[in-house]
Amino acid sequence: MNILIFIKQVADTEARIIIKGDHKSLEIENKYNMNFFDEFAVEEAMRIKEKNKDVQITVCTIGSQKAVEALRTAIAMGADRAFLLDGSKAATNDPLAISRILSAFAKKEGFDMILCGRQAIDDESANVGAMAAEFLGIPHVSAILKMEVVDGNAVKVENEIEGGRGIFEVKLPALFTTQKGLNEPRVPLITGVMKAMKASIPVVDPATLDIPQEAVAAEASKVTILSYESPQERPPVKIIEGETPEEKVKNLVKALKEDAKAL
Amino acid sequence: MAKDIFVFVELKEGAVRKVSLELLSKGKEIAGHFSSSLYAVLIGHNVKGIAATVQPYSDKVIVIDNEGLAEYRWDTYASVLEGILRKYNPYAVLGGSTVTGKDLFPRLAARFGSAIVSDAVGIDLHDSGIKIKKPLFGGKVISWITCSEDSAIFITFRPNSFGIEKGSLNGEVIEEQFEAAKDPKMNLAGTEKHVSEKVDLQEADFIICGGRGMKGPEHFQVLEEIAGIMGGRVGASRAVVDSKWREYEDQVGKSGKTVSPKLYIGCGISGALHHTMGMDTSKVIVAINKDPNAPIFHYADYGIVDDAFAVLPVLREALKKTREEI
Repeated sequence: MNILIFIKQVADTEARIIIKGDHKSLEIENKYNMNFFDEFAVEEAMRIKEKNKDVQITVCTIGSQKAVEALRTAIAMGADRAFLLDGSKAATNDPLAISRILSAFAKKEGFDMILCGRQAIDDESANVGAMAAEFLGIPHVSAILKMEVVDGNAVKVENEIEGGRGIFEVKLPALFTTQKGLNEPRVPLITGVMKAMKASIPVVDPATLDIPQEAVAAEASKVTILSYESPQERPPVKIIEGETPEEKVKNLVKALKEDAKAL
Repeated sequence: MAKDIFVFVELKEGAVRKVSLELLSKGKEIAGHFSSSLYAVLIGHNVKGIAATVQPYSDKVIVIDNEGLAEYRWDTYASVLEGILRKYNPYAVLGGSTVTGKDLFPRLAARFGSAIVSDAVGIDLHDSGIKIKKPLFGGKVISWITCSEDSAIFITFRPNSFGIEKGSLNGEVIEEQFEAAKDPKMNLAGTEKHVSEKVDLQEADFIICGGRGMKGPEHFQVLEEIAGIMGGRVGASRAVVDSKWREYEDQVGKSGKTVSPKLYIGCGISGALHHTMGMDTSKVIVAINKDPNAPIFHYADYGIVDDAFAVLPVLREALKKTREEI
C-alpha cells in the first residue's frame, strides 16, 4: 500500500511575527514546526505500516527550501521518502493552486491513501485536503478519530461530525484528514533523526507536473492578501478591587453590567 | 449581472443554527449594498416547515427536500448545491466555519475552480466588491483579502462574527429538485450523536473555561452550574483535556475550538498562548486566577486575583440574581 501524506511547515505558536511597515508582508521569527495536525497523519501511517506488509510512506509539502526541515521530522518519525514541491513561483496563498499542485503530484507518484492534518494551525483554513480529493476525483473523510484498514482496498473510519461521530466505510483510493484524538504521535528516536539528517530530499518543480501552469502561477491566485494589520489591542486589564471574594464578585458584576454591558 | 448572495443554512436537530441567522443578517447588508438579492439555501429531508424560520431574513428561500439528504454528507450536499449554484450563478456563497462548513465548502470551491476564504471574521463592502477579514497565526495578525470574481466566491465565517438583526422580510419559497448523488465508494455505516441540551461551544454567547487550576474534574461542577444559569457552555484548556478531566470537544485553543463569545470567563487558567489564541476574539474577557502574574491577565478586560474556589460559588449566586432580574 502506498500512503502519501501532505504536510505543511508552520510558524511555531510562540514565534514572534512582525508586520512590516508597508503592511504587505510579514517577518516571522525563525521558529517553525510540522503542523500540529499533520503529526497525527504521519503517526497513523506508521501504525498502518507496522501492522501490514509492503507499506510505503511518502511525505510531501509545498514551500521554500526551509520546509525541508518539516519533511525531515516526518522521516525521523518513520516515513520512507520525502519530496519538496518548490513553491517559489506558485500562488501559495491560494488553496486552489496548492491543492492543484499537490493532486498533480499525487497522480504522478500514485497512491492508495492520502493523509493530511485537518487544518493548518497558521491559517486554520482546512481547505487543501478536501480540495485535493475533489481534483483527484476520490472521496474524502474529514477529521478522522479512528481508522481501521479492512483489507488492502477499504478502510473503516470514525470522524468528527456535528454533535458526534460518523462511521464511514470507504473504498480506496481516498483521502482522510486527521484530528487530534486519532493517536498519540511518537517522538522520533535518535536513530530516526540520524536517518532523517542523511536522507536526500528531491525538489520537484511544479512546472514538470501535469497541470495547467497558468492556473497555479502566482499571478493567477484567486485570493489576494491586500494588507496585514495588528489585532485591536485590549486596554490594560482592570483588576477588580475588594477585601473578600464577595466584594470582588459584587464589583465585577457591577462592571460587567454597567461598563461592559455584558450581562 | 446581479451580485446575489447565497447563504447555506445549517440545521441542527431540525432547527436553524444561530450562525446561519448571523450570516443571513450580514448577507442582507451585502445584498443591500449591491442592490441584489439574498437567498437562503435550505437542504435536507422534511425541511419545508423550517423555511418559515429563515423567510424573515431572506429575499428568497430555496428549498431542496429529499430523502437522500436526511444525513449530511459532502457528496450528496455538494451535488445538490452544485446544481443550484450552476442554475443561479451567485456572486458569493456564505457558510459557517463549522465542522460541516469546513467539510463541504472546499469540495465545492474546487469543483467550481473558485476562490475560497475560510474561517473569516468580518467583511468590508466597497464600491465594486468585498474585502474579507481573516485572522492568521491564531489572531496575532489580521489579514484583509480580496477574491477573484470570475466564479462564485466561497466564504466561511466563524460563528459569532456577526450579530443577528431581526428580520422583517418575507422571502419567497422556491422548491427545487436536484439529484443528491452519492459517491458509491463511500458508505455511511452509522452515526453516534450524543444527545445534548448544551449549546454549541462555538456558538455560545457565554463560555466559562476551567484550567489546571481547577485541580480536578469534580470541580467543574460549579462551572457547569454557572454555564447553565447563563445559557452558555463550559470550556477547558488543553492541559485539562489532556488530563482527561474534560472531553476534547470542550477544548478551547489552538488545537481545539476557536471561540468568540460575548462574555468569556477563565478560571484557574494561566493563559498559555495555546489557549489565548482560541479565545482572544471574545468580546469581554474575565480572568480569575490567584496568581497576579498569570499571563491570562494580559488578555483580560477584568481580572479577579483570588482563589477560584472561593470566588466561583459567590459568582454563581450573583449571576443567578442577575438572571432573575430580567
